[in-house]
Order: sequence, then C-alpha cells, then structure tokens
Amino acid sequence: MLEMVRQQMICIIAPGWRGAVDFSDSGDMQSALNALFEDVAVVQFASIALLPARTDAEEQAPLLMLELAVEEGIDPKDMLYRLVHHPSGAMWSLFSSYWPGGGPPLVSARNGQLFDKLIGWLSLADGGFVGPRDRTARQIRKERDLLIWTRDEGRKLKAMYGDDRASFALALAQRAFQDPRFDWAMQPAPRSYWRGKGASISAKVGYGLVVFGLWLALVWLVGALPKGLFGAITWFVGASWPDVQSVVDVISRVSMWIVWASVRALLAFVALLFLGWLLLVALPALFAPWRRWVDSVRRELERPTETWSSFSTRVVGWIVGVPLLLAILACAVVFVFYPKPIMEGITALTARVPGWELALFGVLAIAALLCIGTFFSWINRRFEALSKWFFHPYEEDVTRAQQVHPSIDQCEALLASGTAHMISLTDIRSPNGWSAWWIRVSLRVVTFFGRVFFTEGRLGDAPGIHFGHWHIIEDGRRFLFCSNYDGNFGGYLDDFINGATIGTTLAWRWTTLRPRGSAAVGQPDIKTPRDFPPTRFVLFRGVKCELKFKSYARDSMLPHMYRFDACNATIEEIDLATGLRDALFGERNDRNDDFIMRAIET
Amino acid sequence: MKISAGTPDAMPPGLRSLSYGIFCWANRRPRALRAVGALFRLWPFAGGWFGMAARASAVKGVLTRPQSFSNSAHAANLAAGDYLIGMDPGPTYHDDRRLLDDRLALLAASLPAAADQEVQRRVEQLGQLGANKSFDLIDDYLMWIVFRSMDPLFGAATGKVVAGAHGNATDPGLQRQYLLEIRYVAGQLLAGSTATLRVQRRAELCSDALRARIAAVSRDIQQAWGVPSTASTITRNAAGLAWISHPVTVQSGALAVQELLRRSKVHRALRAEAQRLGPAGVWQNAKFRDLVREHVLELMRFRPIFPLLARDVPRDTEFETGARHNAPCSAGGKMAIWSIAALFDSRVVKKSGQFCPARNWGPHQDLRWLMFGYGIRQCPAKDYAVEILTSALIGLLILPELRLTRGEGKAIAYDGPLMSRMRVNFV
Repeated sequence: MLEMVRQQMICIIAPGWRGAVDFSDSGDMQSALNALFEDVAVVQFASIALLPARTDAEEQAPLLMLELAVEEGIDPKDMLYRLVHHPSGAMWSLFSSYWPGGGPPLVSARNGQLFDKLIGWLSLADGGFVGPRDRTARQIRKERDLLIWTRDEGRKLKAMYGDDRASFALALAQRAFQDPRFDWAMQPAPRSYWRGKGASISAKVGYGLVVFGLWLALVWLVGALPKGLFGAITWFVGASWPDVQSVVDVISRVSMWIVWASVRALLAFVALLFLGWLLLVALPALFAPWRRWVDSVRRELERPTETWSSFSTRVVGWIVGVPLLLAILACAVVFVFYPKPIMEGITALTARVPGWELALFGVLAIAALLCIGTFFSWINRRFEALSKWFFHPYEEDVTRAQQVHPSIDQCEALLASGTAHMISLTDIRSPNGWSAWWIRVSLRVVTFFGRVFFTEGRLGDAPGIHFGHWHIIEDGRRFLFCSNYDGNFGGYLDDFINGATIGTTLAWRWTTLRPRGSAAVGQPDIKTPRDFPPTRFVLFRGVKCELKFKSYARDSMLPHMYRFDACNATIEEIDLATGLRDALFGERNDRNDDFIMRAIET
Repeated sequence: MKISAGTPDAMPPGLRSLSYGIFCWANRRPRALRAVGALFRLWPFAGGWFGMAARASAVKGVLTRPQSFSNSAHAANLAAGDYLIGMDPGPTYHDDRRLLDDRLALLAASLPAAADQEVQRRVEQLGQLGANKSFDLIDDYLMWIVFRSMDPLFGAATGKVVAGAHGNATDPGLQRQYLLEIRYVAGQLLAGSTATLRVQRRAELCSDALRARIAAVSRDIQQAWGVPSTASTITRNAAGLAWISHPVTVQSGALAVQELLRRSKVHRALRAEAQRLGPAGVWQNAKFRDLVREHVLELMRFRPIFPLLARDVPRDTEFETGARHNAPCSAGGKMAIWSIAALFDSRVVKKSGQFCPARNWGPHQDLRWLMFGYGIRQCPAKDYAVEILTSALIGLLILPELRLTRGEGKAIAYDGPLMSRMRVNFV
C-alpha cells in the first residue's frame, strides 16, 4: 500500500554530471521535455536540478536530479520505459553526455543502455504525500473545462433564473447533460478505497480487524491442519509415529502461542490507545485545569527557546514521564510475550483488593493529578512576577538575518503565478545508518497516515501540498526533499510548522547541513555547517523554532533548472472542479444545488 | 482520449491482489477450470444462479444471441480504444468489419507460404544451437513467425508502424519494443478489470504509446490500405488490428506447445511422421499439414486462450442452462461463458477428456472452433491463426526434440495470466 504512494514520486539521481544542456526558454531541451511529458500524459510535475557533490565524495562533479511526480499505480520501470523509448528521443538528448562517443548506432540499443542506467539511478520516495488524490492530469484538465463552461453558462442564464437556486442549478445540469463533450462526467469522479468506501473510521477499523482476523485464522490453520491430518492418518492406519507426533505437537503449540500472543498484542494496543485517549482527549474535554496543564506541557515541550519552564518540564519529563512511559511499554511487551507474571499479579491484586477499592483508587489518582494541575495553575495566577520569570519572554536566538540566494529568489519569481516548488538537500547525521533508519521509519509512518487518514488533500492541518516527497540518497548520506505546493514558501513552511509539526520534525531531525560548494556558477553553496533546530523527546520543538527552521530550510534549498506542471491548478481549484462534476451530474438536492452556485460564484 | 484511464482502485488494499492472483492461477491451470466447469455442466441450475453457461448447448445458445448477450463486456478492457470485439452491431461495427475483412483477405493470399518461409528461416537459425543452449519459444520463435506472417495487414506501412515515423525499420530492438507494447495491451483484454492497478496502468501506458504511434503514421496506413476512411477510423482500426492480431496468436501458439510438451507420446508420434517425410517433405505433404492442423486445434481445445468469456446483459432476459428452468439475467448485469467447459461436454464430444485430434465431431463440427467464439461474432481470423500455428508447429517438429529447460529457474514465466517466457532446449 505504501509502495503505491512511494512510486508516484521518483527521482533519477545521475552522478558525475558533465553535460552542457541549455534548459532556458530559448533552448531546445525545455520544449522537447515539455512535449515529451505532455505526450506521455501521466506526469503531473517534473523538475530538473543540479545537486552539489559532497565535499568528501570521490566524484566532485554535481549530480543531475530529474524529479517526476506521476499518477497512481504506475510502476516506475514502466514509466521510465515509456519515457526512454518515446520516439522523440528527448531523454536520450538529456542524458547523452554519459556516452561521450555518441552511444550505439541503433536507437533501440542506445535506449536500452539508457534505460538500464536510469533504473540504476532510480530513487523511489522513502516517504511522501499526495494532495489531489485519485485524479489524473487528463481528468483535472477536463474537469477544469467543465468548471469554465459552467461559469460561462451561469453568466448567460443568470438573468433568466435570478435567485431561484434550484431552477438555476437544474437548468445548468440539463445543459451539461445534453452536451456530448461531457459524456465522461456521467460517471461519478473515481475515488480510491480510503477516500471512498473506506473513508469512515468504522471502515478503517473494520479493515484492520478483518486483516487481524485473517492473520489469526491463517496462523491457527498452520497448526491445526497438520494436527488434524496426522490425527486422521494415525486413526485410519491404526499406527503411531512418536517422532512425527512430537514435531506436529510443536508446530501446533507454536501456532497457538502466536495466536494468543497476537490477541494479547491487540488487547495491549487497545489498552494503550484507551489510555492515550483518556489522558489526552477525554480528561481535557471534561476538566479545564487538566486541559490547561496538557496544553502547558505541550507548549513547554515545543517552546523554541530554553526557559526555566521548558527546562523544568524537560527534567520532569526525563525523571517521571520517560520512565513511566517505558514502564507502561515494558508491561505491554511482557503482557504480549510472557503474560504469566502480569496475570498472576492481577489475580493476586483482585483477590486481595475488592473491585470498588481499585475503581476508587483510580478516581483518586485522577483527582490528585487534577489537584496538582489546579495548584500550579493557581500559583501562576497568584505570583505573576514568579510566573514571568519562570516562563521567560518568547524570543528566538537567531544570530543573523536570513539571506536567500538570488537563484532561489529567481526560481520562486518564475513560479509566482503557478504551483510553487521546493528542492531541499541536507546531509544525514552520523552515524548515517542509524539516522537513515530512523528517518525511513518516520517517513513510512507519515506516508501511512497520509494515505489512510489524511485523504482530502491536507496532511495534518497543512493544506496545499500536491506532491511532497523525501528521498534518502547516496547510500544514506544525504536527504532530498522535493515539494510541489500552492502559495509561497513562507506560508508553506508555516503550514508545516503549525499543521504537521511532529511529522515534519520527525522527517528532518536526523539531518544537518555540511559545507558544500555550489553545483554550478550562480547556484548556492554552504560555507558554515548548520544543524537542524534541537528537539525535545524526539518529537517536539524542532520545526517550532520557526526562524531557525526556516533559515535552515532556506539554506538547504537548490534552484531548479527545468520545471513542468501538467495542470497548473491549485488543490482548491481541483477539488472545486471535481465537486462540481459530481454535483452537476448527481441527483438534484439542496446540497448539490448549493455546491453548483458556490462553484460558479467562486 | 480515455477518461477512465488511471481509475484508482476502489477495492480494499490486498483484496485485488488476492482476486487477481486467484484469477491468474486458474487461468494457468485449465484442468482446474475444467473440473469446476464439469460441476456446472453436471448441475447447470447452479451455474444459472451465478449467470454461468457451461454446457455446450447453453454456450452456443448464448453466443448466438449477441443482442441479448452483448460483446460490450469487452469494451472496458480495450485499453487502446474502441474496437470491433467490444462493439455492438451498428454502422460503425459493420464499416469496421468490412475494413477488417478486406485486410484479412490479403492473408488468404499470402498464407501459409509467408508463415512457412519465416519458420524455415527460424528453424535454420535455431538448428545451429547445441543441446545445452536454450532459447525462448515466444521471443525467439513464435513472436517473429506471427509478425512476418501478418505483414500484409499493414502492407507497405508495416515498417513505419513498427519503427515509428522516423525510426529505422530494420532495427530489431524497435520491432521487439512494438511487439512488447501490443502484448501488454492485449493482456488487458484477458486480465480485464480484475487486474491490479499496476497491470492496468501498464496497459494504458502502452495503449497511449500505440495510439500515438499509429496516429503518427495514419496517412501511411491509409495509403497502404487504399481506403478513403477518416483518420479516426484508420487509427481505431489500425490500433485494434495491431494489438489483437499478433499477441493473441502468439499466446495461443505458446499454450499449444506447452500442452504438446506435456503429451510426450503425441509429440513423439508427430515427430516420427515428420522425420519419415523429411525436412523438405513436411512442407509439401498436404496430409501431414492437415494432421498437424488437427493437432493444433485439439491442443487449443485443451488450453484455450480465453477459457472464460464475459457478456453484458443489456435488458432483462434468460438463457437455457440445460436444467429444467432457464436462468434469469437482469438488465445491466453480466454473465459468464465457460467455453472450456463446453469444449469438454460429453453430450456432444464423446470421450471428451481424451486427446484425439482425429475425432469425428459429426453434427457438432462447428463446436470444434469454439475456442474462437461462435456464431456471427466468432473470430474472423481463426483460419489464418490456425494456419500460422500449423506452420510454426511443423517447424518445431523438424527441429531436434524440444523440452522445457531445466536448471535455469522456471522455464515458463507468467506475467499475470499471460505467458511471458517459455525457455526450451533440444534434448
């Protein structure tokens, strides 16, 4: 499932680039690549940039990066095959510098060699998010045409229908139905499972339970089948084979152990979820002091600067929070793999202490926590001076004003009227293997949540991401991030800082910026090393050091030399056009009528 | 432009892979399908519940009612655009059918000589291989024989269709690329909507490439065909003809050889007869050719390329299953035709499980060709396909004895329901 997302965003990282290709408007390459991607019709975004070589790399020539954001379900190999074997030969023109002698005389042979090379340089996204899901470039264009047509028709019909919304919408729908150009819109806009039948939480939970049930059935069958068959054979033949019997018994016992361990793992998972929900959702909703306390802890953990408050929160976190969390997790693990001591402990406890006493103890514990929260809240209000000193004024220690490289400015200016684009290249902290592993795990988690839960174009609370993808490249030495997004850079990073804080921190926290030269004349370099803003307890702070993070991100950026945007539409426009299609060709009701009116007025 | 291209998967993750896996597994094992088909023949009412025709009479009945059981069921799987096989009868259908018949008539003039000539060339090349050297029966033999045999379909435009408007027509890599492209488009007809998203999208990519390729040389094709049709008619028919003619014949050939290699007695008997006639005699002896043709048909009966067929039901109707009551079919639904079950129906084929090329089919002679469909929608190129495969099989019989390669991984590799590789070597 995650691979489906990952292979939508690919990069070709070609090392040792010594080509002299003219990517400017006046050159042939730009028009050739545009024509290629237009003709292939499944590439939504593409870009080309030069990545500077690492200072410790053997090959000091820059790397050429070709970023491709393609439609869902296409295997990257099939995609590359199509691009390389396209009769225009545009891909060969781009990469022909790798064959100084001009390559083999036969087109098929040279395409074959190029294909093999590109497959070797192929990098699938290690994580990514796709905002406008389930739409092809062709569909987006057609739906946009429908939107424009509807607006034109709306203008013509407005005088006739005035404020009669239902009649107005009906007239528009009738005209759309009668127009043969829109036959394709009779079918509702396609939706993949997680946006369609599987969109509700109950469907997602149900899916998980079905998969879990199938797993249990499979494991049980592995044990039960040999046992049943062997039992039947020994009964039928009337003889016994003790050696075989012992092997069958072992298989059966192991299978049953896995079944029960799986059940216990599910119970432990549900219990942990319940605990998290109780502490972070239910109690804050019921008791204001608790809510204030949770908010305060979160604020302190994410506070960009070091204050007494954040320092003490961290210390208490290390002394109380982390051991408590580890203890709970250890209990869960023990419960899953060796439940005997925990079950005996629970049995002994319930035998000694009646149930009402345990319930009372729980209530008292929560009340005690509430009292502590209330007490600190009272201290804050009562001793203002102390509170001010303790919480210290909010101030970030950024030592310099951020200077954006002119080439980055120029690229952003070129894209000001379209979908913005960002390429960031950072180094992975030492030890590389360890850091790369953590980044990969974090990115898989982010990708999973993006695929299953954030299905309507927003990652967390961050809107406007078309295709955002992360790649671990050069054997885990460097980290590449490419994003195609709506709006401008500042607003985009704000969305991440405020909307997807933990995910962004997780993706970047194991990175650093080491000195590097510029990839080409007029491109940015890095003279002094920089670190990603410090984090607290892995997940917190990081990107919340807003100025530091933005400065870090800016310094890591590289300009593009070529850019292709198949649709040039914002996610809002795309959603609007898709919604209009469904509303115009769906049943006539207030909701659809209202949507049509809003669409033609937007 | 196909707006349905790129439709996302609306099934829960994993379920499509599972169902596609089962479909492919069943497709590769015709004996399993025959066993299930035998049950539906035995209890036709059970097939009726699921809208499945299994008895020969039921299958014939359904296939002779194209208005009630429409070929449009194929339309959704025609990745390269609409074509005859997915159309209902109408002006476009009749016009396209006329065009196709004109093209196929050229094959009547060139076959089997063209096929024989290419087979002899390939046999000469392969004959130089030693016993230890394996070759791919699909990529090194069948693919090229069918390709050369079907040259007249595009006539003078063949080179441009294959190599593109500006490509080198003698570049074998470009030819191979074209043949791969059409193979994946044809694969979609077989795999259909059960296929995984990756398979569907690959077919769509190849279809786009095929359409672009045809559109770029449509004037050349028009000149070669000598017809005054519009560019869209030329493109539709040329694309359809390209993907349906070649890959389906190649697959049928591979399946026939696979079945033959399983039947060593039959194989040896045929080889003995070929040896008796000698390498030159096999091409001149009409009786031997008839014998091999009978074998090809019988082999195809055991491994038909389309063991199951789907049909759309445009309006409420019912069909005769062979049970006491007819099976109702609701409008807008689909039904399945178990050709593989009908081909083994012992009510019309005595001792149907036996491999018997010389069987007397009596009044049911028409059923012999059921693997090509039945009635007015039967494949119009069936005779030519069988002729080409007959030539290909004769070529294999005069080569040293073949067997599936051992010790190089699996000799037969599949790409979904299609066979993508069949490595063999001489004994």
